[in-house]
Amino acid sequence: MLDLLLLPDSDGAVRFAAWTMVCVAVLVVVLFLYTIGLRTATVIGAERQRRLNEEWRAVLATVLLSEQEARTIKLPVLPRHQRINLLELWNRTRDTVQGSAADNLRIMGDRIGIISIAERLLRRRQLQSQILAVQTLGHMAHEESWDHIAALTGSQHMALSITAAGALVDIDPQRAVQMLVPLIAKRRDWPRTRVSRMLRSIGSGLVSEPLYRAVRSADDTDRVYLLQFAQLAEHDIVDALAAELIRESKNPDVLAAALKLVSGRDDIPRLLSLTQHDASFVRMQAARLLGRIGQPEHVPVLESLLHDSHWWVRYRAAQAIASLPFLGPNALRALRERQQDLYARDILEQAYSEVGMA
Amino acid sequence: MTAQQVVLSLQWVFLAYFILINLGYLAQNVIAALGIRRYLQTADQYAGEGAFSSLDVPISIIVPAYNESVAIVTAVKAMLQLEYPDFELVVVNDGSKDDTLQKLIDEFNMRPFPEAYRKRVPCQEINGMYRSALNSRLRVVDKINGGSKADAINAGLNACRYPLICVVDADSVLQTDSLRRVVRPFLEDSTTVAVGGTVRIANGCTVRSGFLEKVGLPRGFLPLVQVVEYLRAFLFGRMGWAPMNALLIISGAFGVFHKETLVEVGGFNPDAVGEDMELVLRLHRIMKQQRRPYRIAFIPDPVCWTDAPETFRDLRSQRVRWQHGLGQALFLNRWLMFNPRGGAVSWLAVPFYLLFELFGPIIEVAGYLFFILCGIMGWLAWPEALLFLSLAIALGVLLSTSSILLEELSFHMYPRFRHLMLLYLVAILENFGYRQLTALWRMQGLYRWLRGGKHEWKTISRSTSLSDRN
Repeated sequence: MLDLLLLPDSDGAVRFAAWTMVCVAVLVVVLFLYTIGLRTATVIGAERQRRLNEEWRAVLATVLLSEQEARTIKLPVLPRHQRINLLELWNRTRDTVQGSAADNLRIMGDRIGIISIAERLLRRRQLQSQILAVQTLGHMAHEESWDHIAALTGSQHMALSITAAGALVDIDPQRAVQMLVPLIAKRRDWPRTRVSRMLRSIGSGLVSEPLYRAVRSADDTDRVYLLQFAQLAEHDIVDALAAELIRESKNPDVLAAALKLVSGRDDIPRLLSLTQHDASFVRMQAARLLGRIGQPEHVPVLESLLHDSHWWVRYRAAQAIASLPFLGPNALRALRERQQDLYARDILEQAYSEVGMA
Repeated sequence: MTAQQVVLSLQWVFLAYFILINLGYLAQNVIAALGIRRYLQTADQYAGEGAFSSLDVPISIIVPAYNESVAIVTAVKAMLQLEYPDFELVVVNDGSKDDTLQKLIDEFNMRPFPEAYRKRVPCQEINGMYRSALNSRLRVVDKINGGSKADAINAGLNACRYPLICVVDADSVLQTDSLRRVVRPFLEDSTTVAVGGTVRIANGCTVRSGFLEKVGLPRGFLPLVQVVEYLRAFLFGRMGWAPMNALLIISGAFGVFHKETLVEVGGFNPDAVGEDMELVLRLHRIMKQQRRPYRIAFIPDPVCWTDAPETFRDLRSQRVRWQHGLGQALFLNRWLMFNPRGGAVSWLAVPFYLLFELFGPIIEVAGYLFFILCGIMGWLAWPEALLFLSLAIALGVLLSTSSILLEELSFHMYPRFRHLMLLYLVAILENFGYRQLTALWRMQGLYRWLRGGKHEWKTISRSTSLSDRN
């Protein structure tokens, strides 16, 4: 091998192959050692975290219960290399509590200088450090960091931007909601469940008005997206919004999304007209809604939907009929018997079986 | 030109193949590493999903079952406990000759149900539908045997109600949060039509009540070497293609699809030997032919654990079938090959699979024969030949090493140092005999495809049942 590598008369291709071989072998060894190193670091890190948890969990538990303890309890020594571990533990604990327990944690956080630790972390380039820092500053309700964190909501890294949004909510929910709701439709990369949790933590009282405005001013695509969160607004606002959209919108996706939100009987004529809509999913939602708010005079409309060309429309219509409170077993059976269409009979039989009335 | 000159000129063909295939794999490695890093950076943000369940997309799980009497009850019980707010479980009994259906009826109090069944994709006739009186999420479709898993899945597809369908083998062990993880690409991008997840080898793991309790490594060499193979195939093989939207395979053991799109393309192909790959290729083809925006995604999370063959006979049968299926799937969707509208699928993935995965075994086996022939004839320059051989082995080891590193960087599922050492040892040993053997089996598969073999349900003999084992 050494001959092949070094001899001046070796063929160039062979020498290239020999050097490649050496490089690959070295790379294999490096990757192997790196993997072992990683595993060692993981094991050491886990052990370090375990020891820190052991030491600090008891302190945190005491702090959660008493403001006095939060101010006076003797804190364990915090070595520099364990600061991040503690921040993680502190944030995890903070995520699980509210009210005075959260205030107590802030008091303890002040005592260990958690804000300056977080600010230093925020200056690092690693994404995970920045996320931890933003989360901590939010949990500490550190208003001085508002502008910096607000700028991070525009980060291309979804994890950082959604964490920044959550931190703003922690700092000042009223101010945050005005800024964040218009952002929701633009940041489709934000996990919807995270967004919904954030809006819920703000509360329907604060969310309703900006959400209503955002939906009203959005284009149809954004409207459909935003309407997923409408249930988090106050009921009267949701009803008003749904009624307006059903009355005004021509877009089938918006209509279907709005129909899911309706709870009242405000605009029955419009609803009945939507049972004839071209889009099957609008007819399906209309049928489902009629099952919830329908009156005896709407039964023929639902019966007509049992002949629809789309299975889901027939199915929802059958389910709606089976759920109408004023139709007893005899009426339901009679309704099935008078169907001439085999599809209608089949789907009614299935819907009746589902509610235990075969 | 003498015979010697002809034979020796072939060395350039082998060299070119060798360079291209390794460059291809190394490129996939880099792309996969970046993809996994990006994925993990955002993974935490999805933790604790389900707090607002109406935002989750309901999923229908289809479990095709043919003679699964031993494992079906445990599998169904485990699947009913999956952590997901809204799902239904549709078990398709594909005319089993054993008591699969009766076991389901007895255990879950299944009752005949007059379902308004719609045959939207072709499949064999239905004998009846059952609904569990104990758990309304569970239904069973009892059908006449259609001779293939694809036919059973299609029957399930016809019975499903939800917008996403997840196809799971009855002998698969799922992570409890697998649905939550695999649904993520659908939430992120509304054009997503299919998502695959990482499948791992269950041999050697401890399974209790259908759930994975402890990860371990198998004792036998054959399943052990497949652990490394699966790491390579999933962690960089599929993660390497997915960012280019050029993923060609979603494992039949676990995949999630957008139902309406699946119905539009005609469901699974009952005549396909590798129905999973054929479907994904068909999805690519039809989406591209119709010029529709779409995404076929992959998540690196280990979501599903499956039994690997433990005997040479079973392994050979599996590899022959896979190669047969690959050839058939590529041929059926040959429109994709170098099609101007095909993008990375047509210009990178399909040619790569054709050249290196389908016809690769021919070149590989020919290379070994060439080596032996030249050795016998005295045409071999031994130092150079040994150098080439060593380089081939070293590159093979490098690819395995990097996949083990990717696993350690991401999920580190194998908890002990001993596991790591064993995986490294296998990464070296597989190059001496195993690789050559699988190349031969793949050649057989290729031959079977060219000859036109018949497809039927295949089951591997398992060393243990997935019921309870350690």
